[in-house]
Amino acid sequence: MSGVKIEKITKSYGTIQVVHGIDLEVAEKEFVVLVGPSGCGKSTTLRMIAGLEEITSGDISIDGRLVNRVAPKDRDVAMVFQNYALYPHLKVFDNIAFGLRIRKESKEHINKTVAEVSEVLGLTPYLDRRPAELSGGQRQRVAMGRAIVRHPKVFLFDEPLSNLDAKLRTQMRAEIKQLHKRLGATSVYVTHDQVEAMTLADRIVVMNDGHIEQIGTPMELFVNPANTFVASFIGSPPMNQMPAQIVGSAAGFQAKVNDNVTFAIPDNARVEEGQQVVVGVRPEHLSLNAGDGASAIPISLNLVEPLGSEALLHTSISEHSLVVKAETHGDISHLNEVTQVYAPKHLVSVFDAESGLALTGQRG
Amino acid sequence: MAMNMNLYSRGDKLFALATSVLIGLFTVATLYPFIYIAAVSFSGGFAAAAGKVVLTPVDATTAAYMYILSDPQFWRSYLNTFIYTIGGTIMSLLIVIPAAYALSRPQLLGRRFWNLFVAFTLWFNAGLIPFFLNMRDLNLLDSYFGIIISFAVNAFNIILLRNFFESLPNSFEEAARMDGANDFQILWKVYIPLSKPAIATITLFCIVARWNGFFWAMVLLKSQEKVPVQVFLRHTIATLSDDQEFTATLSSQPYGPESVTAAIIICTIIPVLIVYPFIQKYFEKGILLGGVKE
Amino acid sequence: MDSIQSKQAASKELNVRPKRSLKHKLIWLGDHFKNEWQLYIMLAPAIIWFLLFLYKPMYGLQIAFKDYSIFLGVKESPWVGWEHFQTLFSNDQFIRAFMNTVKISALNLLFGFPAPIILALLFNEIINATYKKTAQTIVYLPHFISSVIIAGIITTAFAPTAGIVNTMLGWFGLDSIYFLTRPEWFRPIFVGAGIWQEAGFGSIVFLAAIAGVSPSLYESAVVDGASRWQMIWKITLPSILPTIIIMLIIRIGNIMEVSFEMIILLYQPSTYSTADVVNTWVYRQGLQSGQYDIAAAAGLFNAVVAFVLVMLANTLARRYGRTSLW
Repeated sequence: MSGVKIEKITKSYGTIQVVHGIDLEVAEKEFVVLVGPSGCGKSTTLRMIAGLEEITSGDISIDGRLVNRVAPKDRDVAMVFQNYALYPHLKVFDNIAFGLRIRKESKEHINKTVAEVSEVLGLTPYLDRRPAELSGGQRQRVAMGRAIVRHPKVFLFDEPLSNLDAKLRTQMRAEIKQLHKRLGATSVYVTHDQVEAMTLADRIVVMNDGHIEQIGTPMELFVNPANTFVASFIGSPPMNQMPAQIVGSAAGFQAKVNDNVTFAIPDNARVEEGQQVVVGVRPEHLSLNAGDGASAIPISLNLVEPLGSEALLHTSISEHSLVVKAETHGDISHLNEVTQVYAPKHLVSVFDAESGLALTGQRG
Repeated sequence: MAMNMNLYSRGDKLFALATSVLIGLFTVATLYPFIYIAAVSFSGGFAAAAGKVVLTPVDATTAAYMYILSDPQFWRSYLNTFIYTIGGTIMSLLIVIPAAYALSRPQLLGRRFWNLFVAFTLWFNAGLIPFFLNMRDLNLLDSYFGIIISFAVNAFNIILLRNFFESLPNSFEEAARMDGANDFQILWKVYIPLSKPAIATITLFCIVARWNGFFWAMVLLKSQEKVPVQVFLRHTIATLSDDQEFTATLSSQPYGPESVTAAIIICTIIPVLIVYPFIQKYFEKGILLGGVKE
Repeated sequence: MDSIQSKQAASKELNVRPKRSLKHKLIWLGDHFKNEWQLYIMLAPAIIWFLLFLYKPMYGLQIAFKDYSIFLGVKESPWVGWEHFQTLFSNDQFIRAFMNTVKISALNLLFGFPAPIILALLFNEIINATYKKTAQTIVYLPHFISSVIIAGIITTAFAPTAGIVNTMLGWFGLDSIYFLTRPEWFRPIFVGAGIWQEAGFGSIVFLAAIAGVSPSLYESAVVDGASRWQMIWKITLPSILPTIIIMLIIRIGNIMEVSFEMIILLYQPSTYSTADVVNTWVYRQGLQSGQYDIAAAAGLFNAVVAFVLVMLANTLARRYGRTSLW
């Protein structure tokens, strides 16, 4: 019995198709995050699960039951909206109790359930207030409370943290994760923020332009991105990418960017001599110290951005930029003299220049 | 736009004075007719007929009021006005609010058609005769229900409220839908509470239109005991100015045709004046809701 | 790692939407009504009302082309084609009524349209908030007064012996005038009453527009040394010009709508020459004399002219501004 099963879902508005065939299975109790840039179709897909958008073709099943033609209220799902959609004229208690009252639950049941949920979310002191009197984080919790109190089979989150400032977002992220641990509910979460995706998800679905680019655990996506899009989307700062050509050498294939710069690439790379590729390496994987099998990369340093214990070095290799993340050890002055960085062979990724598909890492 | 008067040049100060005076004149001109009529109503019949009343009552007497207030027809017509106003407004709201809500929902099939169907009635009107003949056809002449129902709906109000509903974020409806509410519940529990200013505005429009309604009440109602007070007022004025005999008898009374007319006018205005201060905040917003937006 | 969906594989399906069969559409329709029937219930009373009270009369409008007899009813009465319209256009009284409609509207436009604008501009110059608020409260009031009452006040005030106007004329040694019987006085009184009733309330829209003008425009003008008078011409008026134009277009669109209720209350046979408008003519011919078919024809003519004007106004407004009367 799976939580949510999405098969070949498409969505069109008129003649314009915006979601081109999505397949996804969300296991029970799993927290899946749909992430991607604006307009990639993630919210549309979520809304199709909710029943707020019509499914143009394909099937959606919740808990083994086909729900294509089932109304939202009968799908046993609850949704947390981006702008919370709290009823401004109702107190917090009534906001949370709204769905229960519609379903004509008994007064005792309503009082008990709302009290429980408020307790969990820390909202008990605010039950008598109206949304306008609450802070952003509190409103967010009320929105979640409204969803939780219905004990749905699936929780749907539509970019719930987008309207919060950075600090609050960090805090709420942790709360959502703890809540999920505690409630163990199947959840589908939509965001454009890859940090949220990385921290919250059991599995991430990277979407772009109506397609799924890759599905995997956060670490899988980080270590083995399936294509250049995922590689540049996941990870902050994004993976460095530059065009190169495969050349053979005694030590194996290498990716040659220009006459001065050549990257040693993993042995299991599926490349051929002369192939045009995109070579990628993450800023945090570049080292300032030579190591075993690490390619020496000459760079010209443009800017050092101190972040505290780490610093970002903005460098260039001819016309390409290369960002390096290095530890500062409390002093950045030594960083100003960096002229060479090192790329360990096993941490270099290679992508086909034309298709963008990964040529390193495990095949799916 | 708060401007500091101290920064005004002498020319500006003169200008400000001039504008104040002009506004003052217009305000006085607005008020004066009311004061005049009030004065006439409290004046002796002879003085009123002779045109001696300017600002204050001459030969002050409440005789005109006594005469009017003892006329059961007057009270009857007042009651009728209340019936038409309250009944008509309630009927209006019952029809207009749900319709406006339905028209504001994107999932309504044929929405563009229905909107056009409604808006068209603002642009083209079949005219007095067809409307009258239709009322006769429907057997709604000379009846309370006829008056109440036949003016119950106004496309302008529907459009105003519909626009307001459309301006509320859709996520309210979606959240309520996810919570399990059906359309009736969403309208009643969520959208109506959130639309108080707009609903107050159209209620106000309805009440004013009904209270002041005259022409069709006069045409459609034959029985004098069903007419609203505006028609009663009209008949009295017409009778008083046309009927010489009646006027002749009146001039031997302490009240006269002019002061009686004035008394009825005052009696009809009083409720409006009483309610007026309370509604001021609503119609100012209402104009902005329904009128031309920047 | 789950299977990778590559762009290339999916690109075959790009922008190709599966055709929906009739069965599919019917199923969708069934689901739609099962879920949304309440919306249609909500809409129904209004639609039924419109059909019964505003659209059904349009059906009855055909008597404009018939020789209508009450006994035969609308359907059975014989067609006479354009006969009534020919009668109308050769009828002096009707032509006069039509011309009066236009003339009175023009006067309303000339004097009645600028009045609320001027009032708004004047209000804007008032510094004392209390004075402004009080004055506004007072001038909005006449809008809420019924036409019967206003007509009653006018009738009393302009009465030959009893009226204050004639009394005041007497102070200046002038003879009294029986205003309401004289055709040359009807229009000034009527238009004046209209301004008295609507200028105050009508200024609200313009005041709102003026409030929307950014204060920094005035502030920089102050620094430049402009006088208040200059600011009105150079800042305020140009800024609210869009609103003025939209209101003007709407006004012109409604040119055929002269408040005939007020006219009925104020006119007399002796003033018909200037006071009689199309709808009052229709009222007398139709509702009072029972000549329903000709009156309906006149009403139809009026409605069609009005419709054309409103459509024109709408198109202009939409093209010019961002609003329409939709």
